[in-house]
Amino acid sequence: MISIEYLSHIADTRLRLRADTLEGLFTAGFTALNGLIKPEACGDGSSPLPISKAVSVQSADTTALLVDFLSDVLTAVHEEKAVFCVLRLLSLSATRLEALIEGKPAGGFEEDIKAVTYHEADVRLNAEGLWETLLIFDI
Amino acid sequence: MSIKKTDLQQIEDYLWELPRGFRPGMRVPARVYALEKLLDAILDDRSLEQLANVATLPGILRASMVMPDVHEGYGFPIGGVAATAYPDGVISPGGIGYDINCGVRLLASNLEYGQIKTRLEELSKELYRQVPSGMGQGGILKLSLKEMDKVLEQGAEWAVTKGYGREANLAFIESHGRLQEADPDKVSEQAKKRGHDQLGTIGSGNHFVEVDRVEDIFDPAAAAAYGLRSGQVVILIHTGSRGLGHQVATDHLRIMMSAMPKYGIELPDRELACVPLSAPEGQDYFQAMCAAANFAWCNRELITWECQAAWKKVFGKSGGELRLLYDVAHNIAKIEEHQIDGERRKVIVHRKGATRAFGPRFDELPEAYRQVGQPVLIPGSMGTASYVLAGTDESMAASFGSTCHGAGRRMSRTKAKKSVDAAELIRKLRNKGIYVQAGSHRGVAEEAPIAYKDVNLVVETVHLARLARKVARLRPVAVVKG
Repeated sequence: MISIEYLSHIADTRLRLRADTLEGLFTAGFTALNGLIKPEACGDGSSPLPISKAVSVQSADTTALLVDFLSDVLTAVHEEKAVFCVLRLLSLSATRLEALIEGKPAGGFEEDIKAVTYHEADVRLNAEGLWETLLIFDI
Repeated sequence: MSIKKTDLQQIEDYLWELPRGFRPGMRVPARVYALEKLLDAILDDRSLEQLANVATLPGILRASMVMPDVHEGYGFPIGGVAATAYPDGVISPGGIGYDINCGVRLLASNLEYGQIKTRLEELSKELYRQVPSGMGQGGILKLSLKEMDKVLEQGAEWAVTKGYGREANLAFIESHGRLQEADPDKVSEQAKKRGHDQLGTIGSGNHFVEVDRVEDIFDPAAAAAYGLRSGQVVILIHTGSRGLGHQVATDHLRIMMSAMPKYGIELPDRELACVPLSAPEGQDYFQAMCAAANFAWCNRELITWECQAAWKKVFGKSGGELRLLYDVAHNIAKIEEHQIDGERRKVIVHRKGATRAFGPRFDELPEAYRQVGQPVLIPGSMGTASYVLAGTDESMAASFGSTCHGAGRRMSRTKAKKSVDAAELIRKLRNKGIYVQAGSHRGVAEEAPIAYKDVNLVVETVHLARLARKVARLRPVAVVKG
């Protein structure tokens, strides 16, 4: 189960992510980021994904790991002018991640996300036993 | 921790203070420049909680401050000013923002509104053609890494040497369009790659090229010094360092997050991540930030060249040259000297959504402006007004030579999109004589005038507070957006 909830913010995009696993939470962040950049671009998953990039991140804690990972995905989006549809998590610990991301040329973006911020981010297990965090994208 | 009006002490009609003891960790008080009419909206979001957090930064001097156009950001509020002691006070990328050296440039033409009134649609279309805008939109130049390094080092001068700018313009740019501390080696390859095709582009969001007519003159002497007269047509350019700056901030925030424990720094918000300027990580960020600022000045110089091309195409030789009146940053950190407790001190001034507003007798200013103070450029929203102000001695004393930077958002982009019919807005603006060329209807809705505070009240506040004085009001007649 993953859930992406859009919350109010005066100038930027504020989200609440929830998932039943830590892997799911990272997938929720990945899906939210790419879905904002180019909604519907990934379609039903049947189109070819010719762009593939390896992502390797080490951070001080899990919150920083999520933000740093999404920042690296965003960098790849801008470098490749691509939207990424598939996240293959090869390994994930509290402070380290190895992944492969697969995508396709975006043909223009619909949202210009400048950055993934650390503001309000706090990856934790909530009272229902779900992984949860807020995230703010600077747009 | 929600802040209420009763938590604030009113110092003047336009100045409120949250005392240092309001919450643990505040090293200085927090000051809010706002008329009471603006204060309720400010209290509606979390701007002042963020301002109180800024007051906890190690080495912060006098007060953390916000201007009347403040709104909630992430870490620092937008519209914030914070100065820290040089060299061991902290530098915080969050105090500058991701769009390093986002700023405004004003070009003055020789033509009057009456002379171009019937050509405005044509001009707006030509500007839209000549100045690339929108998300992921590249410009005419594709820089090699070697050439990129020259841009990062030389700033606006690079455009001049390549024939895309004018030597005479450099004197009319903050810091002459080049921060000497820039070091291209401190900018990552990813950042350089993100920026390699973005010179000469405005991007999206609240960035624009806007044609205005000078509607009112408030200070005839300053207006004369700046070469402004009633009815004159001018062009405002608002953009920054594009993806290159965003990546520089992202890269160095990550480094600082890891480095903070080494310096014993604990903060209430990760996005305030900072290290002493004198630390290696502080120096690296500062030199990279200066390089990104140089990129932004070069970007605005190139856009000027593109605007000139559009102007010439529409009006031919009779249109004359567009003269650079001034170019000023509103997302930047600078090392400056200010008077603090009777002592002249070097400080690191963070301006995040705040504009430098240096007063008269400032050596860097061109001779013609030196007696009246630095031009301060305040863009409003597309259907209202923009302002030219002049820096003052009082801003030097009160706010480290800083003032507001715009109208300030009051409505979220989501709500604006739901509330505004963009096609209808474009029609209404056209009926008012304002021609809008935009890449998307969504972008127009997000930036609708209703989404912004009343720029007249914002400017009235800083005028009353003497953080800048009113020189001229501009009325938009054509707007180009991504």
